[in-house]
Amino acid sequence: MSRREFIRCAALLGVAAGTAYALAGVAAPVMAGNTLPFPAADPRAKHGGRLRIGEMVARMEDPATYNWNEMANQTRPILEYLTMVGPDNVVRPMLLESWQPSADLKTWTLHVRNGVMWHNGEELNAEHVAWNIRRWSDPALGSSNFGLSTFAALTEPTGEKDAKGRAMRRPLKNGVEVLDSKTLRLNLAQPVLSVPEDCGEFCTLVVHPSFKAPLSHNPIGTGPYTLAELRVGDRCILKRIAKTTDGRDFHYWGGEVYLDEIHFYHYEQENQTAALASGSVDAIYEVSVEQIELAQSIPGAQLLSVETAQTLCCRMQVDVKPFNDIRVRRAVVKAADNAAIKRLVFGQHGLVANNFHVAPVHPEFFPLPPVVRDVAGARQLLKEAGYEKGLDLTIVVGNNDGPWQQAACEALRDQIKEAGINLSVSVVPATKFWEIWTKVPFGATSWAHRPLGTMALAQAYRTGASWNESHYSDPEFDKALSEAEATVDVPARKAKMQKVEKILQDAAVVVQPFWRPVFILASSRVHGYQAHPARQMQLNKVWMS
Amino acid sequence: MGNLIARRAAQMLLIMLTVSLLLFAIFDSGQFRRKVAVAELGGFGVATLSDADYQDWLQKKGLNRPFLARYGEWLDAVAHGDLGRSLEKDISVSTLLKESLANTAVLAFFVFLIMIPVALTLGVLAGMNEGSTLDRVISLTAVMTTSIPQIATAVLLTVTLSLGLGWVPTKSAMTDGWSFRELVLPLLTLLLYEVGYLTRMTRAAMSEVMGSDYIRTAFLKGLPYWRVIVRHALRNALIVPVTLIFLELNGLLSQVVVIEVFFQYGGFGRMLFDAANFGDLQVLQAATLVAVCVAVLSQLLSDAAYAALNPRVRFTRAPP
Repeated sequence: MSRREFIRCAALLGVAAGTAYALAGVAAPVMAGNTLPFPAADPRAKHGGRLRIGEMVARMEDPATYNWNEMANQTRPILEYLTMVGPDNVVRPMLLESWQPSADLKTWTLHVRNGVMWHNGEELNAEHVAWNIRRWSDPALGSSNFGLSTFAALTEPTGEKDAKGRAMRRPLKNGVEVLDSKTLRLNLAQPVLSVPEDCGEFCTLVVHPSFKAPLSHNPIGTGPYTLAELRVGDRCILKRIAKTTDGRDFHYWGGEVYLDEIHFYHYEQENQTAALASGSVDAIYEVSVEQIELAQSIPGAQLLSVETAQTLCCRMQVDVKPFNDIRVRRAVVKAADNAAIKRLVFGQHGLVANNFHVAPVHPEFFPLPPVVRDVAGARQLLKEAGYEKGLDLTIVVGNNDGPWQQAACEALRDQIKEAGINLSVSVVPATKFWEIWTKVPFGATSWAHRPLGTMALAQAYRTGASWNESHYSDPEFDKALSEAEATVDVPARKAKMQKVEKILQDAAVVVQPFWRPVFILASSRVHGYQAHPARQMQLNKVWMS
Repeated sequence: MGNLIARRAAQMLLIMLTVSLLLFAIFDSGQFRRKVAVAELGGFGVATLSDADYQDWLQKKGLNRPFLARYGEWLDAVAHGDLGRSLEKDISVSTLLKESLANTAVLAFFVFLIMIPVALTLGVLAGMNEGSTLDRVISLTAVMTTSIPQIATAVLLTVTLSLGLGWVPTKSAMTDGWSFRELVLPLLTLLLYEVGYLTRMTRAAMSEVMGSDYIRTAFLKGLPYWRVIVRHALRNALIVPVTLIFLELNGLLSQVVVIEVFFQYGGFGRMLFDAANFGDLQVLQAATLVAVCVAVLSQLLSDAAYAALNPRVRFTRAPP
């Protein structure tokens, strides 16, 4: 087991990340304390100032139904998570102090952190946390949290099916059990490995039980900031909170926080780098790959990057003609050259993917041999499938994460043409794409970063999963994945992942060319601003000089 | 004139009713409801909902009520001065409209303030000297500035004036309050096109007038050159440009969509763009009413100006 894997494994078992790093005998990232999830205080840090961030300023309705990362970024200084996945992809306790899974991973005991104060003066307790978890497990909420294994495992089938034949679900009766004021237990319907990671996903911000949407009207949180002004599409101003709503001094549990104010100003993605270049903002949400040269030319600007598990899945629906013939899917996969697509779209940045949706940044990643392009083989497969004269296909792409998605599809189009596949790329507006993403036979969907390799597989490829857009279903795969998910030991899990990855790769469900990097940009005055694989802004220890 | 105003007001009301009804009908579809659901919950969130839960969600949002009932309520509210609330921005549509219109009005004010004297002067000078070097320089420049798409002009100006020379900010979000420096790039982008267009129209009108018999006669009578230009030529040559200037009020409302979105200027065009992207029906409806109102009003002003400048129209009575 590598040191990194050991740390990952220890963190999973509820060992504080600092202790885990110590046990592994490696220098941990300097943290604020053994049980705190934040970096240590910088001795040079100055208090005060305002950080101006360029990103799209969005609504702040219900954190559980957020659908933009930017919404969570605006909210993260106000509301907090039970756990926090750091820029190093290691999960650490946040509003929880620790957790213990049972050996079968079906029962998880969560210990709520002491001394956490709500903005209304109350202390955070297990009932508050239980209220949130029950809410995230409500199938009627329309929250993407319901697609996460933990919250889905807190429900059971009702035995009925909806008009589309999908199984209806209801919350488990005793799924969330409060043991005492600081302890609660999750009794899951099946083993879940990713409870700590799921509790740090971007829609799991913890709200006070008095919460009523929209959050922006009455934001009661546990974070060090409160909302001073929100104008959607314009600005979101956050200010340090000094007093609780009942007039007492507010004590923040997470140690020192430096900035007086955080200002988010609305800049569309393609405008953010230019806004920083002219000094309108101090930091931006993301630099797109085509703007890297511009970013590098800005005097003094810090261009930071991180490798991620964010990717593009050109997935084929396995029950729709012609993709219901595996020879067609294999022909498409064989005719594609993943490494060349990555090179064309991201140059030397990013990592090549191999069509099984587990990334090198995942602790359980098992490196299968790279997929080799074989145009002649693809032609032969098409011939056997009855398409010797060629095949016309259309892939739908929404560019909802940037124009790189379309560029990747166009590169794929040019490559598979050599095998006799005429691919037309249908570009639809981003909002339109999300209306049809589960319906189109061949679609290019951007998948966000998940800290564990099993997470996306469970959401996207398990039989009947909410986000199974390819309609892939294989009992052998489901069984192998469940076995991997039930294995805490990382080397053992990694060994099991070989089979999982191989089944999926052989099924030729996706052409998944790369893992894309994330770039961020900040002026030289900003300190402690880090690139995060899931693009989560964590600003508690950021300061301005 | 009273009749004209009454006719135009009636036309305006009819168009507003028709367009708003059409918009309601267009947006009364399963596809639109899904668009709103996706905008609120996200594609991944909507995918987790069962059919029954989806219908419940629509019910909660009031989106699956009969569209005639919703249209009737909306009409009633509008008649009482309530334009509703923006679904996306959680703000009253009246406030949103007022602020964005004010921002666009500021931009338009500076456009007209600079465009009218500059374009009329250049157009008149070119038209007076048809075929001269001055005419060729002015005409060529005007053709160039009107031929380049505004989005390309915007990029060009940003690269040179902002990223290259650092004279002005790249964007016009006015994050630190109103600033003329931030207005420069959108203003210049609009001006380059508008001045070019109006110059060409003025030049064409002026050169036509300069070649007419009555101007030749005036010269032959021995009247001083400037007197012929100012007293006789300009009055007729300016009829077309002046009416065009009023019509530009309406044209500008469409053009600002590209400019305001590109420069992140919080005006009417950007509001419209955001609302269309989100499916924010209340904002779209209100914006449509304003657009119709501006279109009819600018037409009315244009007609009035035409009548004021052209005695043949002013003194003409409709046949019995």
